[in-house]
Amino acid sequence: MPVEAGQDGGETPEQWRSVLIDVSGVTLAELVAADDSALAHALRRVTDELDRPGEPIAGFNSAI
Amino acid sequence: MRSRAFQLSDAAFAALGAGRPDAGTLDTLCRAQLSRTLLLLRELRRRHPAAPAWYSRIVAAGPDEGNRLIADPMTGLWAARALRAGDPAEDFEIEGRPLAAVHRDLRLRVRVDDSSPLRHEFGLPPAEPLTDAGRDHWQRCLDEAWRVLVTRHRPAAEMLAAILRVIVPVRPDPAAEGISATSSEAFGAVAMSAPADATALAVGLLHETVHSVLNATNLLFDLVRPGGGTGYSPWRDDPRPASGVLHGTYAYLAVTRYWRTELAHAADPGAAFEFARWRVAVADAARRLLAGGELTPAGVRFVTALLDEVRPWLDEPVDPEAVRLADLARTDHHLRWRLRNLTVTPEHAAALAGAWRAGRPPPPPVPSITAHVPGRALENSPRLRLARAFLRREDDDPAGRATAGDLACVRGDSGAAVTAYQIDLEKDRNRDLTWAGLALVSPHPGLRSRPELVKAAALAVPEAPVDELADWLSG
Repeated sequence: MPVEAGQDGGETPEQWRSVLIDVSGVTLAELVAADDSALAHALRRVTDELDRPGEPIAGFNSAI
Repeated sequence: MRSRAFQLSDAAFAALGAGRPDAGTLDTLCRAQLSRTLLLLRELRRRHPAAPAWYSRIVAAGPDEGNRLIADPMTGLWAARALRAGDPAEDFEIEGRPLAAVHRDLRLRVRVDDSSPLRHEFGLPPAEPLTDAGRDHWQRCLDEAWRVLVTRHRPAAEMLAAILRVIVPVRPDPAAEGISATSSEAFGAVAMSAPADATALAVGLLHETVHSVLNATNLLFDLVRPGGGTGYSPWRDDPRPASGVLHGTYAYLAVTRYWRTELAHAADPGAAFEFARWRVAVADAARRLLAGGELTPAGVRFVTALLDEVRPWLDEPVDPEAVRLADLARTDHHLRWRLRNLTVTPEHAAALAGAWRAGRPPPPPVPSITAHVPGRALENSPRLRLARAFLRREDDDPAGRATAGDLACVRGDSGAAVTAYQIDLEKDRNRDLTWAGLALVSPHPGLRSRPELVKAAALAVPEAPVDELADWLSG
């Protein structure tokens, strides 16, 4: 039973399902023309990140 | 338009958490990042009434070349930056020069970006464009690093070949032996100072590429709930949120595995030290994450798999001297972290002074509070340098700059170290490195568990002997 990642409760699912949809097989031109409700959810996922980009990660330093 | 949500089987997700993603999982992460950039570019395009130059260029390039441009780490970085800033975003250039290494059947092909404006987006000052000699140095280090990775660390090499696309040279940090970073918005790019040698490059590229893998995982699945506090991270001197601790834990799982494999190939005291040092740090950090209550169900699954991976390594035999020095280095970091980031209020320090001077027991529990130290810190530990030299049986203090306390501490002479550190503290009671050194060798448990408390008391009561204060606060 796929479970949307981030959902609470229950046992470990057999499949972890993301809110992001796979548009890697779609051309940019097709995507620009598309008005798909499924896109809106995925788009929110990637644009929400823009509001909390955080700092660049890490700073590996073999001295510390 | 037909498209499916990304999915990973539980087995694949657990293997990813254990730092062993297979080729299918890496492909899923790459497609997820390509989807992300496509969606960002769609947003950018739809903000324009007419097609901007970058859009026309991508469309004209055809599906394969267009996707290659879109999948470039710097395109994702550019798109995110342009959307956030509300820029007109007319165009961008993919800049840099190729750098490649081949060993056996595996090729690593990256671009060194030493010229584009986007290289400023990694939080570290970029280096000047490479000279021919600088480029030759990177090439020599990469050839050797790649040979080692392909020969002895095949899964890591395959991961790098699948993910790593861009290296941004950055200026070295005078306080560090090597510095590097990744951006969550530039999947497959690492910023890195010129490597000291092939080993530093191999470990650095591996470490940073694993950050990219975790960034891609985070795009698909929330692993940490937002809004938590900050705490100890064995890899940084500043307090970190759980998401940051997870990044360090995951990256150092890969680093630990690298040294474990190196140790299996040769009885290298350096490899023994690094393996012994990081296996415990990774396991401890994973346990703290699981106990902290900030992980989502997916995060719990991910970190549980991580801990399951590292746990058996804790029982593997390692040279006892390397283990002693690894424990010393790890504890040293924790002590310095407490001294840097924790303190007690002036009121509590005054209460401690009053109790001491009145001959009373210490006042009721004095809480430690966060000392707000701005920014990131990378502190160079002289004891760490000494420990590495001591293990290699090199002259451990060629410049003659080490303190008597540090030399005795690293050599395992606790009595001499205690005396030397106490003498140093009588000259300067405000030096954290000395306090951490004393705490490492002191017989007083209170100094080991809360060095910031003993330091605060010693500053509030300058006439009191440090040893007696530590004993008083350990009672």
